[in-house]
Amino acid sequence: MDFDSDVPMEDAVQDQLDPSLGTATAFVATESNASSNITQLDEWIDQLSKCQPLSEENVKRLCKMAIEVLQFEENVQPVAVPVTICGDVHGQFHDLMELFKIGGPCPDTNYLFMGDYVDRGYYSVETVSYLVAMKVRYPNRITILRGNHESRQITQVYGFYDECLRKYGSAVVWKLFTDLFDYFPITALVDNKIFCLHGGLSPMIETIDQVRDLNRVQEVPHEGPMCDLLWSDPDDRGGWGISPRGAGFTFGQDISEQFNHTNDLSLIARAHQLVMEGYSWSHQELVVTIFSAPNYCYRCGNQAAIMEVDENHERQFLQYDPSVRPGEPTVTRKTPDYFL
Amino acid sequence: MSDQQNPSLTASKLRYPRRPTEGPGINAVHINRAREMAAVTANARLPSHMQSRGQTARPETTHSFTPPRAVKVPVSLGSIAGSRVSIPGPIHPSGCQNPQCADCGSIIIPAPRSSFPVQDSPVIKVNNWCIYSLKKPILNAQEIEAMEERLDFPVPEMIFGNNHIFIKHEAEGKSWEISFNCYDAIKDCDTISNLKVSYHKEWSSYRSNEKSEVPSFTSQLLKQASPSPSPSGETLQLSAVKPYDWTYSTKYKGTVGGQGPQFSRNQEAEIPISKLTRPDPILYFDEMVLYEDELADNGISIVSLKIRVMPTCLLLLQRFYLRIDQVIFRIRDTRVYIDLNTNEVIREYKEQELLYDEVMRMAKNDFKSAGDPGKLLRDPNWCSQMLPVLRTEREYLKI
Repeated sequence: MDFDSDVPMEDAVQDQLDPSLGTATAFVATESNASSNITQLDEWIDQLSKCQPLSEENVKRLCKMAIEVLQFEENVQPVAVPVTICGDVHGQFHDLMELFKIGGPCPDTNYLFMGDYVDRGYYSVETVSYLVAMKVRYPNRITILRGNHESRQITQVYGFYDECLRKYGSAVVWKLFTDLFDYFPITALVDNKIFCLHGGLSPMIETIDQVRDLNRVQEVPHEGPMCDLLWSDPDDRGGWGISPRGAGFTFGQDISEQFNHTNDLSLIARAHQLVMEGYSWSHQELVVTIFSAPNYCYRCGNQAAIMEVDENHERQFLQYDPSVRPGEPTVTRKTPDYFL
Repeated sequence: MSDQQNPSLTASKLRYPRRPTEGPGINAVHINRAREMAAVTANARLPSHMQSRGQTARPETTHSFTPPRAVKVPVSLGSIAGSRVSIPGPIHPSGCQNPQCADCGSIIIPAPRSSFPVQDSPVIKVNNWCIYSLKKPILNAQEIEAMEERLDFPVPEMIFGNNHIFIKHEAEGKSWEISFNCYDAIKDCDTISNLKVSYHKEWSSYRSNEKSEVPSFTSQLLKQASPSPSPSGETLQLSAVKPYDWTYSTKYKGTVGGQGPQFSRNQEAEIPISKLTRPDPILYFDEMVLYEDELADNGISIVSLKIRVMPTCLLLLQRFYLRIDQVIFRIRDTRVYIDLNTNEVIREYKEQELLYDEVMRMAKNDFKSAGDPGKLLRDPNWCSQMLPVLRTEREYLKI
């Protein structure tokens, strides 16, 4: 699959110099260096789009290039319209390819992903490698935020760590990626109107400027505003609630209203929660949940969705079903066993 | 978790029920059965308009695989150990489409069609016992709303509200039935849980330390969220949103219906393991999840069902498995054994529990961990062998 056939090779460099697209001036390189990097990236993207993981050496080079780009992005990364906003992918690589078919190839379509690229699915390595390679190749066409699964602790329990061990024989690649995750921006602001993040609001955060003040380059902490932004959930009940788990906030409609009013927002777009229809409105359309992993964990039977926002801020949801791939179970299924 | 296994490995690890007639060497019939099964599975994954819809759903391609009938297998359907087997069962709404192995008569249950929504509803009847199972996708928004209204607490994240296994005995106009369904399983959860996630203290203390930095409007909201003023009057305290058992620890043992006899406690009534370890052909096998919650990535809470029907008996296992990372392990198993000839039913309920650190210690000492004890901790079968049993209840009835 070749997503960039009609895009000139200089695209990444041009993008960087385009003043209308934010202040990030990453990836400053000489002309020749840049073009050799682009050739290299195109090769990697080509390889990854066939679901073939990069070598450990190339992952190392990719992550180094990605840090060069991501460290200059902001905590609240500005994003222009039109853009297509996507939720959790969770290592379901073939469904990610389906997503690009449904939404249109990148870089022709601008994308904003709201985290959770790894864990659960069988192809976390390929999925995150692909998205990071695309990010480095088209830094102003695709934005990748951090989800709560982009963390050292969570990936050790939910599959990414094991997958790296299985595919590379060591934890080196896991270490490279989890170190890179620390640089991912934690929120994005689409045309100053749509606030995008993985989890939800925090009682410590009243204004978007307060997000800008956070030090994000660290492991996702267990508490505090950065933790809340990646973990909290909207709830039908008003005000702030604490989950009965003993950690984690829920926020009610009054909170969303106040936050959107204070910051002159039209919408909070977030991911983080599985929804059967792929998207779900809360708080009288002040908050939307977008989930982009169809048939989550290969057994939930849910649809996935992405949200297109056009130049006039018109929104459209595109829903899709799992891609059917040979070799990948559409449903986890075991043959009869003599269990006791 | 076991769902992380490489799918390409899974295909090569396909296991079929061992048949007593199996001899040494390559068994041609066995290979054919594997091909049939693979073809059925492949066919089921095609988009619905491309699927070959045979009356028996057996793909036509299998004809070319038919080997010379060199191996004669004496087992034939309808006469297995004197049990009467009929497919489809009489109460199945749309007729049974499961192909049947020409060789041994066991039922080949194809993978669910890759249609949306996913649906799978096989059925079998042995003597007067009818068994069927239904698998559907997780509930949609309206269904969740309706269920939460009935329950008055949030449902688990992955809620397979339409899944169930149903076992019914019908004779002389009377019926007895036991089913395992999602709603009843959640309903039988503990009302509250005293368990908290591992970093609960850290999280709460941060909240109270930081109160001076809480923006004013937020602190007002914090106060509103707290139904009662904190005892000290100093520390900001948020109480949990309407307490419920967030671990979804259920004591569900199935839903019994019909006019038949009631279960009576009988600790002597043990499930005959020797009978279940015999390699009798499995006529019917299914497994499903009723609900699952990732506990916001603090572990897992899952209720899964497995059933296997052999010519003379069936075994159903419902397992509730809870792991809260750095906190606790909990397993609650319900087994239902039915002798399909004598119509005896045994139900066994077992609770197991152990602190996380203890289990971790055992995992580290286990040679099977191979340097990765986490793998064992995510394996409910391994855990069920290691956790001490707190309680066992056995019940018996005969129809």
